[in-house]
Amino acid sequence: MSHEHHSMPHMDHHMNGSAISTADPHAHHHTTPSTEHSHGGGMMMDMTFHFSYKNVPLLFSGLIINTAGEMAGAFVAVFFLAMFYEGLKIARESLLRKSQVSIRYNSMPVPGPNGTVLMETHKTVGQQMLSFPHIFQTVLHIIQVVISYFLMLIFMTYNAYLCIAVAAGAGTGYFFFSWKKAVVVDITEHCH
Amino acid sequence: MMPMYFFFSDKVVLLFDFWNVHSPAGMALSVLVMMLLAVLYEAIKVGKAKLLLRTMPAMAPSLSQETLEEPERASMNTGVERLAGTPQKWFLWHSIQTLLHVVQVVLGYLVMLAVMSYNMWIFLGVIVGSAIGYYIAYPLLNAR
Repeated sequence: MSHEHHSMPHMDHHMNGSAISTADPHAHHHTTPSTEHSHGGGMMMDMTFHFSYKNVPLLFSGLIINTAGEMAGAFVAVFFLAMFYEGLKIARESLLRKSQVSIRYNSMPVPGPNGTVLMETHKTVGQQMLSFPHIFQTVLHIIQVVISYFLMLIFMTYNAYLCIAVAAGAGTGYFFFSWKKAVVVDITEHCH
Repeated sequence: MMPMYFFFSDKVVLLFDFWNVHSPAGMALSVLVMMLLAVLYEAIKVGKAKLLLRTMPAMAPSLSQETLEEPERASMNTGVERLAGTPQKWFLWHSIQTLLHVVQVVLGYLVMLAVMSYNMWIFLGVIVGSAIGYYIAYPLLNAR
């Protein structure tokens, strides 16, 4: 992070120098190595899938994968993150159904969990907004959005190992968590 | 070159050439815009679901009960006919839904591309906007 910060004004300085020096050919030689250095120093973004475990940045500046072991660790972590994401999605859905089915079937007798019959009263928007289930859902929503963006960014590295980890984790999570999923209007789905 | 990890900076280029941020004030404004886009995304998501519930009340038990009592009307799309009327009207509703879907997809991609800049401020703005949007819009789904 600090690398990036320091190099920015540095580069500007040299840019200014070269702009002035266009009339002066001697100073021009001075600027060329620095621009080359800044080009090679930055991490190039791969735009095609590739298998590699050398110098793979993973979301944060401190997390750079350099060995096969680190890649294995990252694979497991990403796998479980994707699995957790699927579980969270399905948990939110079932929580939502538990807390809101009764409101949808407003003023209708609804069969309760153990054969009882519930009569639901109508709640206003304000009451709903301040209710615990909704606040809890909002917190879960934040977690879900953060994880979904993380997974998107991990997939975006184009590193084939990590992409496989995301896909396999999502598949495994779906397999284990959604076996009793019911058909509802799916509004918890986020960006993929 | 573009870094591939999260960092705090007030310099970023978002989505278009002309959206070139290089000052704290510009960054604050950009974060605000991204927040509003995220709120809009959540609102459209809920609006779409609400429209769907209104035009396709197959899930509403009261309506399906009525259709059971009127067997001559109990066709595949009774609910649609009841609320949306003629097929022309149904087509109109469907077009509106399609339009909303397109807007939602485009917004989703724009926000995603902005997050892809790996700028922490933008990311936090998107998260906060998404949370606010969900918090406010979701209870409106069940409002009459």
